[in-house]
Amino acid sequence: MGDGLTGQNSATNTSTLIKKMYMILSSINNTFESYQQLITFYQSNKDNLFSDIHLGLQGFFAANMSAALGALLDLFAADLNEIHFDSISPQIEQILLKNDFLTYYGRQRLHDSNHTTIKFQKLKPTDGKYFKSYVIEELIGRTELPHMSAGVKEKITEAIYEIFVNAQIHSETKFIYTCGQFFPNKNKIEFTIADTGIGFKERINKRFGSNLNAVQAICWAVEDKTTTKQEISGGIGLALLKEFVGKNKGKMQIISDEGFYQFDTSGVIARPFVGKFPGTVVNLQFCTDDHSNYALKSEININDIF
Amino acid sequence: MEISTINIVNTIGDIFAVEAEEGQKVYALIKKAFDNGNKVVLSFMNVEMMTTAFLNTAVGQLYKDYTEETVKERMQVQDISESGKISLKRVVDTAKLFYKDPDALKRSINGILEE
Repeated sequence: MGDGLTGQNSATNTSTLIKKMYMILSSINNTFESYQQLITFYQSNKDNLFSDIHLGLQGFFAANMSAALGALLDLFAADLNEIHFDSISPQIEQILLKNDFLTYYGRQRLHDSNHTTIKFQKLKPTDGKYFKSYVIEELIGRTELPHMSAGVKEKITEAIYEIFVNAQIHSETKFIYTCGQFFPNKNKIEFTIADTGIGFKERINKRFGSNLNAVQAICWAVEDKTTTKQEISGGIGLALLKEFVGKNKGKMQIISDEGFYQFDTSGVIARPFVGKFPGTVVNLQFCTDDHSNYALKSEININDIF
Repeated sequence: MEISTINIVNTIGDIFAVEAEEGQKVYALIKKAFDNGNKVVLSFMNVEMMTTAFLNTAVGQLYKDYTEETVKERMQVQDISESGKISLKRVVDTAKLFYKDPDALKRSINGILEE
């Protein structure tokens, strides 16, 4: 299967009748192809019950992708499948022990002496207070972070919050998964929020009785002033985020159902996957060496807001 | 006309005004004041972080219950950051359109389908 997902379908242990699945994810980065690997992995295992899923991670694994992988593995665990990480390259293992991901699978945490991880965290949508502590501990309060102006830090935090709150309000998910990573040498932060909720397409089509495909649904949702809320206006969060990402020369990716949407300095890429992601992933990449002055006085007169 | 000052931090018990549900608490107070015929001064003093989701429920939905003229005449904000001002203005402009033309969203869905 090339350098992507490889898997031996199954081997049944006849004495216990436990189905064993062997899968390898290789070179998982923040690319369309990597998300496709995760989707294929999900599609190959989604109907399993009480089986052993042996997962290998090889080549490279972008730490922030722990959020998307964690979301998928939880769906398997909900069907009483057991997850075994039994062939992880040492480098990947180190990162996933430092960012707490593997501690959710019974492994001991490793101290992050480089201070470049932003922990993997699994939260209930009602855990807003925990998310606040997480944001303070992992982002705002970190003194060892790459040099960032106060304005950029505030805008990044605000952007992350908009996405978290979107997942709270719209996704109908049981859990929200977050994870990130700093790249001090590249002056970048990657941050990912994933959920296993209903996704953009179903949410929009249910609300409007429409028949958008997943790519169209995401494209509609990132437009300014579009919302599925019935009584309350909205739809500004994603539009503001897109504007900030543009100014910051960052990147924003949305994966929902079979839809992929990416916006960065080269423009928009929107295309379908084969198979669907069972929820939504929003991945954000920010430049920390952004010297724009976000605290510039706006031209809005305080008496002219309403 | 009497003036009610509503302090956001005190109302939600937090310097992060981020969750939509918290915005509902602020909205309830503004509504109470409006229904009593009062003016409202909404104080953002010490608010360190806010989302548009919070502002939509706290302020945006006023346009569902009151005319633009009433809101303009009775609402005032103070101690708001520059970025907060930008977000609030966007929320207010969006809310005005949303409640004035509820079919606009459906039309924009059709627009995407025709692309």
